Amino acid sequence: MVNLSILADQTGISEEDARILRGLRAGIEAAYEELIDRYEQPIYSMVCRLTGNQEDACDVVQNVFLKVFRGVHSFREHSSLRTWIYRIAVNEAHNRRRWFARHCRKEISIESEGPPQANPIECAKDPGRSPYQQVLDRENRGLVEQALRRINPVFSAAVILRDVENLSYEEIAAILQVSLGTVKSRIQRGREALRHELTQQPDSGLAEVMAYQ
Amino acid sequence: MTCWGAKRQKTEYMDGRLRDKERSRVKAHLENCDPCFADFDEVSMLRLKLQNLAKLTPPKSLRTDLRVDASREQKAVAESHGSRIERIWRRWKTRLDDFMRPLTIPATGGLLSSIMLFGVLGFTIGRTTRGVTYEVPILFAERTDANLVPVELRSAVVLTLSLDGSGRITDYAVRDGSDSFVGSATRLQYNNISLPEFPSVLAMTQPISRDIRISFTPIVFRR
Repeated sequence: MVNLSILADQTGISEEDARILRGLRAGIEAAYEELIDRYEQPIYSMVCRLTGNQEDACDVVQNVFLKVFRGVHSFREHSSLRTWIYRIAVNEAHNRRRWFARHCRKEISIESEGPPQANPIECAKDPGRSPYQQVLDRENRGLVEQALRRINPVFSAAVILRDVENLSYEEIAAILQVSLGTVKSRIQRGREALRHELTQQPDSGLAEVMAYQ
Repeated sequence: MTCWGAKRQKTEYMDGRLRDKERSRVKAHLENCDPCFADFDEVSMLRLKLQNLAKLTPPKSLRTDLRVDASREQKAVAESHGSRIERIWRRWKTRLDDFMRPLTIPATGGLLSSIMLFGVLGFTIGRTTRGVTYEVPILFAERTDANLVPVELRSAVVLTLSLDGSGRITDYAVRDGSDSFVGSATRLQYNNISLPEFPSVLAMTQPISRDIRISFTPIVFRR
């Protein structure tokens, strides 16, 4: 079992987290609002990539926040608020993914075949890129998103937390409740699997992705 | 440093987790080794791609739903303020809710399908039980075509037929030489007996029912 107390020293609770927690425990509206403001988008973004379905992601995010609201009184502050919320989100997303795989495999919609698409308006806002480059960027991002969905969820979770969400090894270890060595191994294997997917799959070649660098 | 050593430290090198000394050693190796440089470069590009993935924007309805949940929870906290028992009760309620949620759909599905199944079977069972009549697997044939096949005669066999007033066979039994009933389902199926229609037997100008016993004896030919 991982010694989480060691990790807790490095990912311990900040003054800001403590303030939000106090507010939540006291039932102050501003604390709820601040929590939603800070974590809704990153949690949604991560869950969307882990589940691969935007509608599911909304349900999962709602469940995550419900658990946070209800569990805030029993949160022992051994880890930071962010780590705790991410841990709940990763577990919920995995549960949803497993449930989906077990019950709804035959009902995969066309929408869920593709990756979660970036907002086109957001892409169009980049003034430094021509429309052609922006289209290419979107396609490349789509290929990477698809590859992320094809690799083992255990590895994709580690890669998403590290490379997309930019969390530290210690935070990832606390979120996934594994050792630092396991985190390193999962990130390495995840990246290799992703590279393999992008280079070996004829329809999603990394060569194309890399060529547009 | 060898290529193997460099690859072992690739992830930590990429994520800036190596000490200066180790980092310099890996860097020196990459400057002199083209395959390793290409390998590191590819992973580095992949990382860049991942870092540049778009931030996905949640739908506005999600924010509304979260605010509704927050407001509900806020109210619950306000109502149970200071009550430890209430908080413990809510915590266990949440756990129970989490535990039961995955079971809800399968359990409901199972219950509904059971109700449907027994609903349909209930009618069927009632009617089949009342509708059953005694069925004897007998084929009738014209008198000229009638034969008795394919009884495998190893010993003498007696076929007892029960006839009704109109000469129809209502029952039969096949007994072998030891006088034991040879009426197992498989044997009956095997003895697919075809018999002629018997003429009515009259007694005092009225047809009567009676039993007919027919004996079969195997004939052994010796050269």
